[in-house]
Amino acid sequence: MSDQDQDKDPVVHSSLSRPLFIWSALLLLSLGWALYDEVYGIRPWKSYQSHFSKVYSRYLRSVRPNESTFEKQIQASPEYQKLDRDAEAARKTVAAQVEARDREVKQVLVPQTLALNDPFQEVRSHIGSLTYQIETTNSQSSKESMRREIEQIKKEIHTVKLPMPDGTTKKVDYDYARMDRDLLAWKNRKAQLLQEIVDLQKPYTELLAARDKYLSDRVADVSSGMLAGLLNKMDDFDIGVRQIHIKDVDLVDRCESCHLGTREPVTLTKAAMGGEEVFVSHPNKELLKIHDPEKFGCTPCHGGNGVAVDSIEKAHGSNEHWLWPLHSRENFEAGCQQCHVKEIVTEMAPALNAGRELFRLRGCMGCHRYEGFDREPEEMISVNQQIRQLENQKAEWDREIGFTSDKADRTRDNAEAQRLYQHANDLKVRISGLDAKIEQADMRASNLIREVKKVGPSLKEVRMKMHKEWIPVWLQDPHKWRPGTKMPTFRLDQDDIQAIAAFIWQSGVTGNLPTSSPGDPVKGKESFETRGCMACHSMGEGNDKEGGTFAANLSRVGEKDNYDYLVRWIHNPRERTLPYCPFEKRDLTEADYKKKGVPFVFDMDHSKCPNDGHELQVEQMTPMPSLRLTVEEARDIASYLLTQKHFDATYPAADYLDDPKLKTHGAFLVRYYGCAGCHEISGLEEEQRTGTELTKEGSKPIERLDFALLGHGAEREGWYNHKGFFEHKLQDPAVYDRGKEKPNKLDRLKMPNFNLSKPEIDEVATFLLGSVDSALPERYYFEPTDQRQDVIEGWWVIRKYNCMGCHQVHVGQTTVFMTLPRYQDPDWKDQRPPSLIGEGARVNPAWLMRFLANPALSETDTNRDGVRQYLKARMPTFYFSASEIQKLVRFFAASSSQSMPYIDPKMEAISDQERTMARQLFSSEGAPCLKCHATGDAKHDQRATAPNFLLSKERLKPGWTERWMVHPEMMQPGTAMPSGLFRREGDRWVFAGPTPPSFQNYPRDHADLLVRYMFQFTPEELNRLRASAGAGAGR
Amino acid sequence: MKKIYICLGIVSILTFSGCGKKEPESAAKEEATAPATAPATIDDANAATVTGKVAFSGDKPTMRNIDMSANPACARAHSGAPPKSEEVVVNDNGTLKNVFVWVKSGLPERQWPVPSTPVELTQKGCMYGPHVIGVMANQNIKIVNNDPTNHNIHPLPKINQEWNESQPPKGEDKLKRFAREEVMIPVKCNVHPWMRSYIGVVNHPFFAVTGDDGTFTIKGLPPGTYTLEAWHEKYAPQDVQVTVGAKESKTVDFPFKAS
Repeated sequence: MSDQDQDKDPVVHSSLSRPLFIWSALLLLSLGWALYDEVYGIRPWKSYQSHFSKVYSRYLRSVRPNESTFEKQIQASPEYQKLDRDAEAARKTVAAQVEARDREVKQVLVPQTLALNDPFQEVRSHIGSLTYQIETTNSQSSKESMRREIEQIKKEIHTVKLPMPDGTTKKVDYDYARMDRDLLAWKNRKAQLLQEIVDLQKPYTELLAARDKYLSDRVADVSSGMLAGLLNKMDDFDIGVRQIHIKDVDLVDRCESCHLGTREPVTLTKAAMGGEEVFVSHPNKELLKIHDPEKFGCTPCHGGNGVAVDSIEKAHGSNEHWLWPLHSRENFEAGCQQCHVKEIVTEMAPALNAGRELFRLRGCMGCHRYEGFDREPEEMISVNQQIRQLENQKAEWDREIGFTSDKADRTRDNAEAQRLYQHANDLKVRISGLDAKIEQADMRASNLIREVKKVGPSLKEVRMKMHKEWIPVWLQDPHKWRPGTKMPTFRLDQDDIQAIAAFIWQSGVTGNLPTSSPGDPVKGKESFETRGCMACHSMGEGNDKEGGTFAANLSRVGEKDNYDYLVRWIHNPRERTLPYCPFEKRDLTEADYKKKGVPFVFDMDHSKCPNDGHELQVEQMTPMPSLRLTVEEARDIASYLLTQKHFDATYPAADYLDDPKLKTHGAFLVRYYGCAGCHEISGLEEEQRTGTELTKEGSKPIERLDFALLGHGAEREGWYNHKGFFEHKLQDPAVYDRGKEKPNKLDRLKMPNFNLSKPEIDEVATFLLGSVDSALPERYYFEPTDQRQDVIEGWWVIRKYNCMGCHQVHVGQTTVFMTLPRYQDPDWKDQRPPSLIGEGARVNPAWLMRFLANPALSETDTNRDGVRQYLKARMPTFYFSASEIQKLVRFFAASSSQSMPYIDPKMEAISDQERTMARQLFSSEGAPCLKCHATGDAKHDQRATAPNFLLSKERLKPGWTERWMVHPEMMQPGTAMPSGLFRREGDRWVFAGPTPPSFQNYPRDHADLLVRYMFQFTPEELNRLRASAGAGAGR
Repeated sequence: MKKIYICLGIVSILTFSGCGKKEPESAAKEEATAPATAPATIDDANAATVTGKVAFSGDKPTMRNIDMSANPACARAHSGAPPKSEEVVVNDNGTLKNVFVWVKSGLPERQWPVPSTPVELTQKGCMYGPHVIGVMANQNIKIVNNDPTNHNIHPLPKINQEWNESQPPKGEDKLKRFAREEVMIPVKCNVHPWMRSYIGVVNHPFFAVTGDDGTFTIKGLPPGTYTLEAWHEKYAPQDVQVTVGAKESKTVDFPFKAS
């Protein structure tokens, strides 16, 4: 080592203070970091909480002055002031009396009772202890002596200083009995005085309550008192994890550690919370009431990872491998579907309902099975299976009866024989039970034949219905020909189109159609626009489109349909050319009937196969009803519809449709593309679905969703999830073929393009995202066993037949009629079909059943509406099956909380005198009843705008009728039935206008009288009423 | 080596200072509480006036007779001469009656005082009179039944609340009002389907209805540029721009043509 090296000895020559300083600084810093991370870094919710407390307090302070100035304004209003003054006046008028009573209680009764109570208690306890000794001692003599002692004590005189109201005291001598008597008297007196005070102050306290109610009725949100309470809560705000723990499910949701405003009583908006969306209140308080977060938590509905609180990504479950990510804004109703899986309509979930409806209406269910959708064919199989099982069981028991009886005949022991005979008899009775069951199942099976509907029209009828040349053009691109149509666009080349068209054309049935003379298109247009066609069908193209979306747009029907067929179709769309036998699996022809010598008639009443007695399909499988129009009117409408066309449209000749060589390949393609999922096609009636089942598609493992070559791209772009998969597939069903080498076109994806709009895609995606194999326990599922089940079932029927196109079925719903320009006019507004909100409370279910089965309410006079002949729109005949009618009737009863079966309430008979009075009132100038309500007189009824009273008894419920007469505006705001017909007088309703003289001194309720009159109305009485009204008119 | 540690230190400081949730930058926006604007008063000293007439050209349409035969009580009031529909009423001087003229836009955002006197709508001879009325929002409408028969008053607004109330023969007058601006609200009587009236509800007092001479006058306008609209139940509404200075009077005419 050289000197130089020694010079550089670090120990001697350099200071370590710098490295030491740096290291210690680093140590300090990392300590600080560790502490920070511990407190805030991994607990981001803490800063949310302190921030929330700050902005919330600020907000509360900012609204408080408003609230209190608003309160002050109300308090300064003359009404409030008057109530306040009246209350004060009421207090003053009784003040002296109250004061006197109060004084007596406070200055006399209470102090005197107190003064006397002590000596009384002393004596009583002495007596009590002696009595106990008497009961426990055995010596008769000591008992006697103690009894004497008690007598002695009772007689003893005590001098008590009773305080007097003037402040002095007065000495009074008391024995025990007098003490007891006085104390009791004072106690009673005190109670009496206190009650008197309450009674005296009653007007005052009532006015005070009215005054306070006046204020609380007008302060909408929260009172300033409540705001102060909330502010106090914020002052003591305690930072800590807020969690919901549901023990039985082992669910822990800590969402509210950051989403602190969710359940605050004040409605918090983003603006109110300083632009922080995380703090807003739950947007639907009603929904939270039904799904109390303390019982349901947050994540079962919303998705996300409820336990994670260390980052937004993890808490929202958007990290990799988390199976249940938070539903995004446009799909949040997916959360409803997993528990409301049996429903087609879920209250408060409009997007989900729209998604389900698209799935149903656009025919997704034609290719993709989804439990609950299009269930009739499956149910048919299971019912038939059930029938077979029951028949087997029956045969088995029959055999057993034979064996048992034989055995009984041969047995030697009488008792044993008796037992065996009994057993055989029991089996017979049980078989009769089975017969009843089989009968029900048979009925269900024939109902089901009626209930099966197809999304698209029957292709068996093409030869009858269509211009041949139109078919290939349509197949090429249905959406180009008719934008928005249900039929999706398949990716077909010319060869495919020709083969498919040829097969369909050649497999069509032929038959005879009556030739119709031309109708009047002008009249037809009027009928089309007013009879109710537009509740389902739309007319006009582009922005001119008006009407419903449930069925086809008819703007170009003139280019494709045959007139005679169209007339038959409009007259009764269920009429088909040939009946189909599901047993023989073919369409029967006239020859089949001829062979058996039976007339070639098939309809609802002639629905058995002449060959083998099996139930036939005698209807077209369309939900389109019959409007019970005359043939003339059907011709007018058909003539009008045939004027609807593009006059410049041309169709190339398509003679190849008759080329038999194309048929086989066409049949293959039709089967391959699953056309029979939506259409009835000859030979393909029993085809199975071609697509994958979607009931649990939302929880299919992501790696089983085939993103094909787009997987990596999807990951990069952030859509490698179910939502992304569904959205891209719906947007372009061929998307996952991109870049793939598939020379054989049959290897390509075959799902056609539905041309859904972005909102429609969101709705269908919402439905699919909610279609999961839920991990939630059973109690979360909405599977009610009460009337709510009837509501679930009923909605399927209501959606199936589009009742909501014409009727309001639930509060807040818009019908198609409400949107049609014609029906905005004040006069046409009354022509809208009736609202069905509260229908279950309004009508007798037995009547409703009859009406639904036959809306004309007549077997012969069918060209009319049974109830509202004055409406141009008409309740059509849907040919509902019995079980559909049952479901609808139960639906309405359940929706209005009506118990079933309905029992007519007993009604007090109307006296002759009352009947005369009611008739006089009905026909007086002061009562408008007969101005609008139909009477059956043709001339009068031309102007009628309300039903005939003759229907009331059968149709209505009396309680509803009275509520309706008195307050129609409560049930249907804006109804043609005027309000204010009755006024309240004491505890009864009195007619508000001038009453006939006979009403003088009539002490009873006028509304009740009219209800009893209407419910005991007869045709004879109607004649009397008409005569009386006519006489009145002549006056 | 030292540098590396210093770097590390700095990096770490930067890192954790960047950690944690950032306080939201946007300052809390105070809820915009609409300050109750003081009721505006009409400044008479500077007020401008717009007058004009509604001319009608073309063939005068003939109005149908109203058939009241089904309601003798109504028919009697017209003693044999059935009244005519008031859908289009052309005055003798070639002007159009029952046109509602109002300032559609251009007014400053202010609260105008609501007159305390109600506007009357009568039912006489089963006809509404006047056929067209204008009111301010929240101004009372007094509805009178002078007929010996029952009427019901059924306004069919699109913006305001709909109601339908019965009024007995010569029954008590009704006071009703509409809270929101709406031009126009048709009114009908379900019992007498021919009865029709229109109510224009406006947020300010600058409106008028043409009468038997077809003229209108809108007084008390503050100086400014306005869009005036003339509304008629049968013909399409017409808009006109007009600018008035202080104390200025201007004339604006609306030409309506037979359709």
